[in-house]
Amino acid sequence: MKKLIQLKINGETAEVAVEPRTTLLHVLREDLGLTGTKEGCGIGDCGACTVLLDGKPVASCLTLAVEVRDREVLTIEGLSKDGELHPLQRAFIDHFAVQCGFCTPGMILSAKALLDRNPHPVEEEVRQALSGNLCRCTGYVKIVEAVLAAAEYMQSQ
Amino acid sequence: MKESSMIGKNVPRLDALEKVTGKAKYSVDLNLPGMLHAKVLRSPFPHARIIHIDTTEAEKATGVKAVITGRDVSEEKIGFIRDRYILARDRVRFLGEAVAAVAADKVEAAEEALELIKVEYEELPGVFDAEEAMKPNPPVVIHPDLYTYALAPNPTPLYRFEPDMPNVYIHRQVLQGDPERAFRDADMVIENRFFMPSAQHAAIEPHNAIAQPEPDGGLTIWISTHQLYLFKLNLCRLLGLPSSKLRVVSLYIGGAFGGKSGLAVPAIAGLLASKSRRPVKFVLNRDEVFLDGNNREAMTLCVKDGIRKDGTLLARQMRLILDAGGYSGTTALVAKNAAFGAIGTYNVPNFKLDSYAVATNNPPTGPHRGFGSTEVVWAIESQMNMIAEKLSMDPMEIRRKNLLREGVVDSLGMVTHSIGAGECLDKISDWLGTVPATPQNEGAWRKGRGIALCNKYTIGGTDSNVFVKVHPDSTLEVRHSANEIGQGCDTVLAQMAANEFATSIDKVKIVSCDTAITPYEEATVSSRITFHAGNALLLACKDAKNQILQIASKKLEAPSDSLEIKDGVVYCQGDKAIRIVDLFSPKGFVPGGGEIMGRGVFSGPRENEDPDTGQGKRPVTYYAHGATAVEVLVNIETGEIKITRIGSCFDMGQPINPKLCEGQMEGGMGMGIGGALFEEIVFDKGLTRNASFCDYKIPSSIDFPTKENVISLIAPVLHSEGPYGAKGLGEGSLLAVAPAIAEAIYNATGVRIRDLPITKEKILKGLNLLRSSS
Repeated sequence: MKKLIQLKINGETAEVAVEPRTTLLHVLREDLGLTGTKEGCGIGDCGACTVLLDGKPVASCLTLAVEVRDREVLTIEGLSKDGELHPLQRAFIDHFAVQCGFCTPGMILSAKALLDRNPHPVEEEVRQALSGNLCRCTGYVKIVEAVLAAAEYMQSQ
Repeated sequence: MKESSMIGKNVPRLDALEKVTGKAKYSVDLNLPGMLHAKVLRSPFPHARIIHIDTTEAEKATGVKAVITGRDVSEEKIGFIRDRYILARDRVRFLGEAVAAVAADKVEAAEEALELIKVEYEELPGVFDAEEAMKPNPPVVIHPDLYTYALAPNPTPLYRFEPDMPNVYIHRQVLQGDPERAFRDADMVIENRFFMPSAQHAAIEPHNAIAQPEPDGGLTIWISTHQLYLFKLNLCRLLGLPSSKLRVVSLYIGGAFGGKSGLAVPAIAGLLASKSRRPVKFVLNRDEVFLDGNNREAMTLCVKDGIRKDGTLLARQMRLILDAGGYSGTTALVAKNAAFGAIGTYNVPNFKLDSYAVATNNPPTGPHRGFGSTEVVWAIESQMNMIAEKLSMDPMEIRRKNLLREGVVDSLGMVTHSIGAGECLDKISDWLGTVPATPQNEGAWRKGRGIALCNKYTIGGTDSNVFVKVHPDSTLEVRHSANEIGQGCDTVLAQMAANEFATSIDKVKIVSCDTAITPYEEATVSSRITFHAGNALLLACKDAKNQILQIASKKLEAPSDSLEIKDGVVYCQGDKAIRIVDLFSPKGFVPGGGEIMGRGVFSGPRENEDPDTGQGKRPVTYYAHGATAVEVLVNIETGEIKITRIGSCFDMGQPINPKLCEGQMEGGMGMGIGGALFEEIVFDKGLTRNASFCDYKIPSSIDFPTKENVISLIAPVLHSEGPYGAKGLGEGSLLAVAPAIAEAIYNATGVRIRDLPITKEKILKGLNLLRSSS
């Protein structure tokens, strides 16, 4: 049976009717039209559906919508503020860290979670933090470069 | 070159902003009003007769709007050998073959309805080993009517059936010179057997399509594919629609690598949409991508070489056995094209190749980045290292000695042009340092280095058509139908258009991949787009510029050949000039001329090949060349392998955007590491044992060395027919990785691996053998 719940997505409150088994991914994509969050496997292996839940990266395909009531969800659509790109987004563009782009939203959010808790990561820490986000196009080289460059830029600000 | 301000420049990707903000749309992101969701029922047996299918209960289930089975699909079949119905009719030939499909208002309702479909099967014996299947008396004949099937249109009939081998889809032969005699004359003959397993492309976006019925009885289908017009052609046939009633659209593609070439997904969505008169979305689950996602076939390769004492290759004979699976897919064509990769690097005057695509009851297979080249390069490059060792020669030296050179006729009869293999080899070995490394011991870790070469052909006889519309604000609208699969074709084509009009990149707009408005493109395959669509684009720009110059010539009262276009202005010698915007009336129309729309058509060279020997003047359009260098650490107690350095150098002709080329090389190295060290689809009597990213590991960020230990270099050798001298790159970057890693491992441990992937177990087994034999 469906139940109405309130979620806080990208700083805004959204009311959605969900079944107990409805995933956060489903709510984001199908109910709220936030299709920037991608589904690559549906079982938590690939990281494409990564969103931040209270600042921590989670696989939204394995997260039930009812679990995230009264918690802050950040998706890729909520990352830039007032049209201003987040330094990670800027760095992904400048460093050619995007190819097909399907892993990109999840990758950027995993990187944000890392930089929020560790503003000066070394390369190895970046690689570890992104190891749950699979990318088949890039070989990760330019992604890692972009994250390190964004960290450096944010430090300089 | 007169105007080359945009060529060779690292222009930021046009699609990057959309992709980093989550705004980029992929077909899987579309939700249409009233849309249904499709799911298919798959065979639990690898080989069985379908006695009866009862869908009565499923049709009555809540939310179900349409159910189809093999009875509802057309007589038209798919595959280069037309051997497969969209839904199985009387027989299933692999475990996972779709037998029925349901469209319901929710995914869950569709899934539940599948459980209500009753299928009665009669199991048949299966055959799962290609070499067993190709025997004259196999345990079972998978396609008893094989020789009656139609063939896909192909410029030359290079297919050959083997009536004595009833499970062989095709046998391809290549012959040049007299290999038997050359083997007798050789100082040394060396023969080895290699294996490359079945692999998944693992694009992160799963295969999907959405079909929407249109009021005229036709359909619009959004598809995640890299073969827009090829899909349109085949879907018209499969859905019984005339060209005018089928519109095919692709948005951004979340990776492809050859995998998004199967017609079943859009055809099933289309059939269900036609039946339900509602839009239908069909997305494969990840495990379904592994089961029926056009995996690369497993290939067994025997390579026999005759060599002179000084290292000169006199003869090469290859026998390739491809496990194509239950249906021929495109693997029949892979069996043909593998010959191109086998002859593209070295000068071998006596050459023979026999390639067999074999039917088994494993899942059907299709194109995978390389299209046969990955497999043959693995075998040939490994063999070159073994020859070098036998002759106590430097592995670089034996390669240099035997390289094809400009103007030399290759083993298929084509005159070699634009070959940067030697330059790539030099540059990448300079980067890696002395090769081979002196093995260094640090506890149980042993260091080794390896280098391999590769070539990637681009197929002949393909066509591209591009339009360039000039807007009244002087923006260039490039209309093309190459799929943006991540490689960056939109950016590359925009750079070329900006260059031709001597304007900036922000004055170019891309409109792509909608058969209602963008022109014919053969397919985004075979690393052909920069060259083919690029050439068509240059012609379209020329046409549009001519139209502008004709009009401007009248307005400026100057001959058109004295005019020049730059930054949206037509300049005349002296002071006269007119802005493109002023050529249009205030209504946005060119009086007497209407729209300014340039059209460009480019057709790649087409030459016949001899069906018995494969010889021809131009069997391929061009070759990209490259080399990969690797340093590894191998733990001789655990078998663990660490890639500590990896670099590639490629000759793709003129790089249009070097950073995009780097992206292809780095991506190819990543995929190559996976293929070398862990990727293998494991079958157990037709059952796919590892159909998930958990069980089929692809490289993650920790499997790559640190960034200062990775390099991508460019050694361009221009092609006389390419746009600005460009060729192609996408596929090639994968090919040399596995043989380079295998050589580095051999260099470190003395263990020679011939069967990929190179697992810890294989290393330890090899070390044990070495110990017991010493």
